[in-house]
Amino acid sequence: MPTKKTETSLNDNLKQLAEISDWFSQQKELDIEAGLEKVKLAAALIKASKEKLNTLENEFKEIEKEFGEEPTDTGM
Amino acid sequence: MLEDNQQIGLFEEKPLTVTEFITRTNARLKTMNARIIGEIGRVDEKNGHRYFSLKDETNGSTLNCIVWRSKYEMFGLNLKEGDKIIAAGRPEIYAASGKLSFICDAIELAGTGALKKAYDALKKKLEAEGLFAPERKRKLPQYPRTIGIITSRQGAVINDFLTNIGKFGFQLELVDTRVEGQLAVGEILAAIRTFRRRKIDVLVIIRGGGSPESLQAFNNEMIVRAIAAFPAPVIAGIGHDKDVPLVQLAADVSVSTPSIAAMQLNASWQKIIQFIGQQEILIIGGYKNELAQTRAKLARHTAILANFHYLLKNITKALDSKMQKMIFFLAAALAAASQKIDYLQNLIASHDPQRPLKLGYCLASVRGKIIKKSAQVAVGDEIILKLSDGKLLSEVKKIEADKI
Repeated sequence: MPTKKTETSLNDNLKQLAEISDWFSQQKELDIEAGLEKVKLAAALIKASKEKLNTLENEFKEIEKEFGEEPTDTGM
Repeated sequence: MLEDNQQIGLFEEKPLTVTEFITRTNARLKTMNARIIGEIGRVDEKNGHRYFSLKDETNGSTLNCIVWRSKYEMFGLNLKEGDKIIAAGRPEIYAASGKLSFICDAIELAGTGALKKAYDALKKKLEAEGLFAPERKRKLPQYPRTIGIITSRQGAVINDFLTNIGKFGFQLELVDTRVEGQLAVGEILAAIRTFRRRKIDVLVIIRGGGSPESLQAFNNEMIVRAIAAFPAPVIAGIGHDKDVPLVQLAADVSVSTPSIAAMQLNASWQKIIQFIGQQEILIIGGYKNELAQTRAKLARHTAILANFHYLLKNITKALDSKMQKMIFFLAAALAAASQKIDYLQNLIASHDPQRPLKLGYCLASVRGKIIKKSAQVAVGDEIILKLSDGKLLSEVKKIEADKI
């Protein structure tokens, strides 16, 4: 069955990362093998999130530049 | 006295007709504009026009005057015998009668007392009609664009206004008018009519301060009514004496200076620009902040990786440490065991019955028992002496017991 590739949003990624963080903090005795699987997932989420964040920041910088270039005088 | 070259018809071959002469004379008289002060004599009315004499109080000289109906209605004065007035106009000969009259383009009451009386009366009348009622006042539109201005192009007033209006994309249109004296009345009325035909958001009528006489146009009834009935809100800024000009009372917004009039117009624009500026800071700044916070969150989650690595290192370290301890204890245990073995070995060795034999001692026995005391044997007994490398069979020859 072909796997369906869905692009998750930045917020969804951060939510999953928060869940992973919580899992680690709740472990009294860490299961190393389960921990490694969580870390692998976290690494993938972090990578994807950083890429998304870079794209957003670049787009925002363009908008900020436009505002910086607009004259404040509306002219008569 | 006519100049030589201006003498009419004197040396012409053909004499002028009366009409021609009157026409030429009136053409010259048209240039003799004047303002004349005098006391009104009898006033006659015909078809709405007013005919009256104006008398010099000092010596009784008299001038016949005419105010045409349209002008008379415009100035809103009720001329009566005895009124002192200032009439502005020019002389003209009426051809039909040959009579010289002073045609008044403007008339105004002379003397502060008379002006005040007229002002009070008109104010009372218009107030009673509700022209000045607060509930009639309209608010200025929120973001006015097209502004009509009635004032003089000369002078500081328009400059003050333009300096303070600011650059908010206003479409300003100025109709240049007189703002002084009764001659201003006609021009101001015409300007108001002009702007009525245009679609403007606000009408501004402004002038600087002056004497009560100079502000009289702004107490003219027709102008006041035109302002009250104007289709768009009106801002009036007429520099005033203690008696507020009636135009100012009729206007929707009354201001004391042209700069304040300008600020009334740009206030909402200033606010919206400020609001937009604030929103820009909130939205742009807020979003920037959100991006930074997201990056910080990501950085915190990235710590998971570092922490796990650290955990693995710790576990490895712990394992190494345990191994080390086990080896140490094992080694210690082995050493201890070895030591014990040596000790026991020595102990055993020290208790080896063969050991004394090697030192030259022998083990004596009689009848199968080890001889420990001399009393165990008698003379002639056969005893066995065990040596380290064999036995000796012996007989007891003599017994010598130690004395205790």
